[in-house]
Amino acid sequence: MRSLYIDTSSSFLYAGIIENNELLAECKKRFDQDLSKEALPEIIKLFESTKIDPKAIDKIIVVNGPGSFTGIRIGVTIAKVYAWSLKIPITTITSLEAMALSSKTKKIRVPMMDARRGYVFAGAYDKNMNEIIKGTHIKLENLFEKLETKEEYFIITNDEIEGITEKESYSPDILKIVDYAKDRVAINPHTVNPDYLKLTEAEEKKN
Amino acid sequence: MKDIYILGIESSCDETSVSIIKNGSEDIATVISSQIDIHKEYGGVVPEIASRHHVKNVTFVLEECLEKAQMTIEEVDAIAITYGPGLIGSLLIGLETAKTLAYLYHKPLIPVHHIAGHIYANSLVKPLEFPLLALVVSGGHTELIEMKDHFDFQKLGGTLDDAIGECYDKVARVMELEYPGGPKIDKLSKEGKDTYHLPIPLKDDSYNFSFSGLKSAVINLSHNEAQRGNTLRKADLATSFQKVAVESVTSKTRKALLDKNIKHLIVAGGVAANSILREQIIKMAEEIGVDVSVPPLKYCTDNAAMIASAGYYAYKLGKRANFSLNSLSSDPLK
Repeated sequence: MRSLYIDTSSSFLYAGIIENNELLAECKKRFDQDLSKEALPEIIKLFESTKIDPKAIDKIIVVNGPGSFTGIRIGVTIAKVYAWSLKIPITTITSLEAMALSSKTKKIRVPMMDARRGYVFAGAYDKNMNEIIKGTHIKLENLFEKLETKEEYFIITNDEIEGITEKESYSPDILKIVDYAKDRVAINPHTVNPDYLKLTEAEEKKN
Repeated sequence: MKDIYILGIESSCDETSVSIIKNGSEDIATVISSQIDIHKEYGGVVPEIASRHHVKNVTFVLEECLEKAQMTIEEVDAIAITYGPGLIGSLLIGLETAKTLAYLYHKPLIPVHHIAGHIYANSLVKPLEFPLLALVVSGGHTELIEMKDHFDFQKLGGTLDDAIGECYDKVARVMELEYPGGPKIDKLSKEGKDTYHLPIPLKDDSYNFSFSGLKSAVINLSHNEAQRGNTLRKADLATSFQKVAVESVTSKTRKALLDKNIKHLIVAGGVAANSILREQIIKMAEEIGVDVSVPPLKYCTDNAAMIASAGYYAYKLGKRANFSLNSLSSDPLK
């Protein structure tokens, strides 16, 4: 069983090739503006370094948001076109789940991404990945209100967010993420799409 | 000689399109998924909404095109992609799709400039004859380009401010016509008389255009009429506006053809669908003995057939991109 993992939901590219339970190659690099240019070449490097034929992948796991809108679309487009053209089973996982899974804290895990203007994308999970707060686009102060009633929590983020001082930075445990998603049913590649958790500004204004 | 099949992908604005073209001229299959009805509600294309729809549509459009062509990706010789200019978020969906397919199927990746695509739309009708002058008129461009050979582009002039199509859309908004306004002005102008006096833009010796002054003149005229309590005679305004807008384009094109002694004119871009523009350009070309070619309407607006056609000539010239190809929101045609 060979899996390909792709996450472009932030300014980082996180990708890996996993065979059975072994991480054969991974990429964790920050690209900012160059993500669209470099995502595919970096994924190709993973195939080259492992000498694995890209056609010999059995499953694709792609992060479909939330996060940078453009970023998410880069990874999702590569993954869905790949899965559709070669008829490879594909499934999705959220960036917040991936962040929570990679943490080692015993406290409530609160993965968070900056959504600007005082808003964040965030969720809350216990150490067994039970969802305590579903992934959402929320004002930071409102999130804090929701968290107050909960037991002790810990924030996981790579972003500089005003009002967040104590935090754990995020580096994906790709093996763990892929293992977690292994039993998820495959989705028709045509319907693999970003889950932005936020309407566009034009749609918000119209509503 | 072996037939060459190019798979073209275009997603620079609000159309997701995939096409397979044989030998640069024969349309085997073209599929266009337009988002016009979605953006109409906003009075114009909303970039983020456009990008969101491209990612939803892209594999459906690919599949439909391959089914229509009765072909597989293995059977095409290369993949041509619009890398720019256009809306960056939209361009990226086509770009990542093309790069992924080119990698997985070991196909050459051919980068195509969107405007080169519009020009080569004409080769879907008949081969380009050089030297030629291309008049590119669209929502984002108003340019005169001289070509002495394939992929040899020399820009003679262009708009100094708004593109002609942009001007049409803005004037349409003043007239309270629904987006996209160009075709509606064109239709309405046939019912009107040239009674409003609008200035002919940039009457000078250059090959350049300017449309912001004309746009302002229409806005002022509309305000003045409202202040005087007069109803705006929309059909008449459409007629008067079209007359000067088209006159400006036609006279500069005529000048370039005569100055450069060029006998072949091709018209390209979405505004090439405008009936008055077609009529006036053809009339002018006949007067000075120039052959003129205007692509059929379906190839005037954004489509992947023109990208695949341009891609064929680029392929023959050995133009290739590697997998680091990026989208560019603006890029001069070289």
